[in-house]
Amino acid sequence: MGIDMIIFTVLSAIAIAAALGVILSKNPVNSVLCMITCFVAIAGHYIMLNAQFLFVVHLIVYTGAIMVLFLFVLMMMNLNADIEPQKRNWLKYAGAISGGALLLVLVAALRDASVPAIQSGAPTDIGLISNLGKTLFTSYVVPFELSSVLFLSAMVGAVVIGKK
Amino acid sequence: MNAIITTAVFGIVLMFVGLFVKNKQQIKYFAIAGTILAFIANWYDCTLAGGSSVILHGMVEVSKFSILFNGVAIVSTFLYFLLCGSAFERVGDDVADYFALVFFILSGVMLTASFSNLLMLFLAIEIISIPQYILAGADKKNLKSNEASLKYFLTGSFTTGILLMGIALLYGATGTFNIREMGLGTGDLSPLALCGIILLAFALAFKVSAAPFHFWTPDVYDGSPTVFTAFMATVVKAASFVAFMRLFYVSFTGGDITHHWQLIIALITAATLLIGNFTAVFQQSVKRMLAYSSIAQAGFMLFAIVSNNEMAAQGMILYAAAYSVATIGVFAVLLKMKDYTFDGYNGLARREPLLALVTTIFLLSLAGIPLTAGFFAKYFVLSAAVQAGGLLWLVILGVLCAAISAYYYFRVIIAMYFRAGEAETLPITGGFKAALLLAAAIVIALGLFPGLLLQFL
Repeated sequence: MGIDMIIFTVLSAIAIAAALGVILSKNPVNSVLCMITCFVAIAGHYIMLNAQFLFVVHLIVYTGAIMVLFLFVLMMMNLNADIEPQKRNWLKYAGAISGGALLLVLVAALRDASVPAIQSGAPTDIGLISNLGKTLFTSYVVPFELSSVLFLSAMVGAVVIGKK
Repeated sequence: MNAIITTAVFGIVLMFVGLFVKNKQQIKYFAIAGTILAFIANWYDCTLAGGSSVILHGMVEVSKFSILFNGVAIVSTFLYFLLCGSAFERVGDDVADYFALVFFILSGVMLTASFSNLLMLFLAIEIISIPQYILAGADKKNLKSNEASLKYFLTGSFTTGILLMGIALLYGATGTFNIREMGLGTGDLSPLALCGIILLAFALAFKVSAAPFHFWTPDVYDGSPTVFTAFMATVVKAASFVAFMRLFYVSFTGGDITHHWQLIIALITAATLLIGNFTAVFQQSVKRMLAYSSIAQAGFMLFAIVSNNEMAAQGMILYAAAYSVATIGVFAVLLKMKDYTFDGYNGLARREPLLALVTTIFLLSLAGIPLTAGFFAKYFVLSAAVQAGGLLWLVILGVLCAAISAYYYFRVIIAMYFRAGEAETLPITGGFKAALLLAAAIVIALGLFPGLLLQFL
């Protein structure tokens, strides 16, 4: 077992444990902190794939901006046990059954899925910033430019909805 | 591609127009000019491509089908601006921004007919969806509008997650995002790919409001400002269907893949037809009835996806045109009514005979009565299903449901012609009547000669 295998296993274990913590912890702030841990562990996976840009963006956007947003929302909503909506029992069962059914289907499908070995051995350098930039502005230039329409409409929307 | 760029850029231009043009009624004319520009750009695309050609690193594929659908979408939007454009300023102050958002949606709509990469599919669906969330909540003081926006946003973004997961699984199975290079037809279908196909089918079924993913539709369509519902329920819905059909027709065909998903889509179709039609019968408000009717019409458009053949593509184009024009017309008249219930239409024929007449034509088309465009649209999608074989039970169900749909469409007609009452309307201009007549003429012309449209395919 090489060193990268050990790091991979540790990171995966942290990610899964943290993800479980998100849904199992009673306190929403703990959930958010677990989520940050999970994201950091996944960012570690990106580094192992030699995807530096993705790593940095993931840290800045998800663990930085989005998690702060989550914490703000939690503080503003002021969640506590008193105002927690009463969940009906049958709703819980229905959720568990439908979620379990989806899990069953996915596990059944993935059980004998043969994942083709896309890249083995040394990691590629496609994730380096210069290579990513070249790909982004050649093969993927059309979606790159068109996504500006998406962001522009989101900004227009924020202004339209937000202003008095 | 030129048409996509033109509409996206014109959206930005319109935002600046809002700065410099003080009279809000005039912005509408800029928007109408924009649709004409887009139509010219689309025409230019047509002369440029002259058939099917792949450009821009296999991201976008301009074909006869995409150009024809873009034409239909542009003309529908043109009619929409003519008929409903003056109602934009009743919603709120940012009239120019609303028009700009509609143009952004339109550029996404055109992308749905020409994407050839799953990344572009995702972008197209999102460019369509995000402005819609905003338009749904444009009436900020109205609680129902807020509810519609929030509901649409939450359920819509959740579905986008499912769409992305489907795309990721398909990428894992095939190693490509290009819809033509997936090669799913050869060899055994990997379970990974099958999961991806199913997740994509569910996500797109949500976007086209097919049962059992339709629960957002009545509340969103009912709560949004009526003028924006008219756009959401027509051009946008047709575009989502085209994306759905393009993906399944191009990538998930060949070998025995079709058998894997056909039954699921057939069951979704049956459920959509039944739920849409039966719930529409019990509505009291015409706006809400139209929301359920849009679910019912989605059931018929799903026939094109189930049957997955050449005729289905023709049926889809014809259905998109017939359904969009007729529904925009009905909504335009609804916008002029003061009371949105069925009783609000009582006696409209006596006060405004022309409005009653064109509404009747549009409703007959939606019900699929011969001599209107809706008849041929239904005929094409149903016979495509017959051609596909093994779907006769679904076709029979479809015909029965079309008969049920006549009930709730005729309720409006009966209210207009045979009930006494004082239907109150807002002031109606001559230009509005002329535009209504134009829309009605399109409906009848397509009902007599569907070849007018299909000759281009």
